[in-house]
Amino acid sequence: MISIMNVSKSYGPKVAVQGLSLDVPAGELFAFLGPNGAGKTTTIKMICGLLFPTSGTVSVGGFDLATQGDRARALVSYVPDQPFLYEKLTGREFLQFTADLYGMSAERSREKIAEAIELFHLDEFADDLTERYSHGMRQRTVFAAALVHEPKLLIADEPTVGLDPKSIRELKTLLRELAENGMTVFLSTHTLDIAEELADRIGIIDRGQLLGCGTLEDLRRQAAMDGSLEDLFLKITEESPATAVAGV
Amino acid sequence: MHTVAHQPAVFRRLRLRLVRNALRTSLETGRLRFFTMILTSLLVAGFTFATGWYLFHQLAANKIPFKGAIVASLFDLLFFTLGSMLVFSTGIILYASLFTAPEARYLLTSPARADHIFATKFQGAVAFSSWAFVVLGVPIFLSYGLTAGVPWFFYALLPAYLLGYVLLPGSVSALAALLLVRLMPRNRRQFVTILILGLVTLGAVWLVRLGYSARHTLATGGRELDELIGQFDLIRSGFAPNHWMTRGLMAAARGDLLEALIPLALVWSNGLVVYLVAAFAAKRLYRTAFDRHAGGGRGKKIYRTSVLDRIMSGLVFYLDRPTRLLVVKDFRTFRRDPTQWALLILFGTLMLLGATNFRQYYKNDLAIMDKYALSLMNLGGTSVLLCAGLSRFIYPLISLEGKKFWILGLMPVSRRQILRGKFAFAATGSLLIAETLILASDVLIGLPPAGIVLHAAAVAVIAIGLSAINVGLGAYLPNFRETDPSKIVVGFGGTVNMVIGLSYLVAVVGLMVVPFHVSQLAEGMKNQADAPFNPWVFAGVPVGLALGAAAVILPLRAGTRNLEAIEF
Repeated sequence: MISIMNVSKSYGPKVAVQGLSLDVPAGELFAFLGPNGAGKTTTIKMICGLLFPTSGTVSVGGFDLATQGDRARALVSYVPDQPFLYEKLTGREFLQFTADLYGMSAERSREKIAEAIELFHLDEFADDLTERYSHGMRQRTVFAAALVHEPKLLIADEPTVGLDPKSIRELKTLLRELAENGMTVFLSTHTLDIAEELADRIGIIDRGQLLGCGTLEDLRRQAAMDGSLEDLFLKITEESPATAVAGV
Repeated sequence: MHTVAHQPAVFRRLRLRLVRNALRTSLETGRLRFFTMILTSLLVAGFTFATGWYLFHQLAANKIPFKGAIVASLFDLLFFTLGSMLVFSTGIILYASLFTAPEARYLLTSPARADHIFATKFQGAVAFSSWAFVVLGVPIFLSYGLTAGVPWFFYALLPAYLLGYVLLPGSVSALAALLLVRLMPRNRRQFVTILILGLVTLGAVWLVRLGYSARHTLATGGRELDELIGQFDLIRSGFAPNHWMTRGLMAAARGDLLEALIPLALVWSNGLVVYLVAAFAAKRLYRTAFDRHAGGGRGKKIYRTSVLDRIMSGLVFYLDRPTRLLVVKDFRTFRRDPTQWALLILFGTLMLLGATNFRQYYKNDLAIMDKYALSLMNLGGTSVLLCAGLSRFIYPLISLEGKKFWILGLMPVSRRQILRGKFAFAATGSLLIAETLILASDVLIGLPPAGIVLHAAAVAVIAIGLSAINVGLGAYLPNFRETDPSKIVVGFGGTVNMVIGLSYLVAVVGLMVVPFHVSQLAEGMKNQADAPFNPWVFAGVPVGLALGAAAVILPLRAGTRNLEAIEF
């Protein structure tokens, strides 16, 4: 579903991502880990088509983001760490706008909006303006909007921030179910236990370079140690070469 | 995969819903606020109408020669000025909407087409930036129409003209914003600074030449009217859109419908063509421009304290240390923001021109009447620009603290001190700039010492009072949701603040300065010599000072009370 081939991305003289290659097949839940400033969000923004690689190619569902961006983006939903909602729309109106933007028929959108409202327990506030929502309510609404058009790829950046424990539990179950039903889920998080619990594969990035990628067992072999994901993450990132990012 | 959405219709529905919901919320929760905004807009429009009506009526009643040419030149200048302002304001709003707004990031990750995103943001930006054009423009033309006795179709064509004229500068600025971001060299700060300085210099040269001709015309009793009008050659050429507007409206006023329709067609067709070019450019360039904007980082810059910070701290030596630190913090934030600097350069240049553009020509040979009339004009112009500058830079200060206000809330300073610090920051800066300009121009014009002292006192009252009004109302009517200062300024609170500020400065100038000038002008007309001062002309000074004290105390008190009551 996602194919990243030898991608680099520079912000002026600063290299944010360097020589990244990664394939994520359909139906996989992939967790993308890394310290602050490692290049996770830049990579995600390139997969969404918000940014373009300085070199290399990114494609989604076989569509190159640089040349067939509209077709690729139609397959993707992105839940950023600071989600956007129109303050003067109700939650229901926002879901309707999203469905309309993705070209869903009136009947199908009605059906999917009702499902999303039920799934994320939005019914109590779906008809209030989103300017009155708490962070958790906003996050749930954004997730509902992300799923209402049935994307093939869901990208979520720190999805559990601001959610209460019950909502986190429900979200984890949902993400797993989505992946089992064929949706690709690309998750960026600092919460290592979520990655450990949910992910089929885990990628660790630091200073713009992919340091490790695979199942938990693969990472253990790479790090030549047993232990939790936290131990592996710390060992792999501490051992990464300091010269990984050129030009900084 | 779903069917292809009809995106223009989707965005149209979105805009309608947003407007409907915003209107409904305003009427449900902020009815007073909503009607006050309508009322202040009507007041501004009414004042503009009354001034326009009076001036056009005087022009007709006094049988001034070449009045048609004068009105046409005024219209040319008006459209040129408003068009230039629309280019800047639409460009700034559109730049923020397309490249820095969270909504742009959201839409760009969706399958929405780049040109459709551009179109919806363009319509929003033009609507936002052109309301002032409508509030100011419509009353002027209505007043002209009523005094000149124009046919009915002048009024019928007026909305079509004004709407069409909004399209062209908006499209030009949209195209410029896209091309600038997409093609700008990597060191964009330098590039933008050079570009703005270049534009300001060009404008300054033109205004100085205009000032020279105006002076020459006044000094010679109107014989060099042609020379003055000649300064408008550039904006009166057949290629200038502002001149199409003037030509069309003047033809409509004369009753020549066919002659009126041709310029209207020119305005609309050119506006639409440039809009299409801008939309095409957006389709091809917007996404890559966004990428370039997001990826246009610079090398690591180390920010240090500057000697300017120490000067600012020294200027507010009378404040306690925590408040002084807050003042320096505000100043540092201000000086590190290049967009603020760009606008400040623009305001500063205009103020400089307003205060000094006549000085070199009047040094030795200034007639008595001209001396008093022009120094009053200088004072008025500088005060209006000071009012606009403070509204733009100081009024949004509290609102911009926004979600970060809790940081200030946790500091060991009271909210009263925070406001006092912002007031000291505003008053110090505005007092320094305005006094320097007015004193320099008055001395060079050769105003007598009593007049100079009076001007210095009036400017001090205006600068300090306006600073308090802007800081106080900024705290009384804050807008913590908005992060774009230009949108805060044109919102409800900003509009109320602007109207109160303008009324205040008109009152202070009227009470403290105008009697002196009117008396000296009247004496000058009779005797052709500088007459001794009638002490009664200073009778308004204590009232002006009392008004100034009220302008400081009342808004700051109201702002402090409101700020202390706000929970974060």
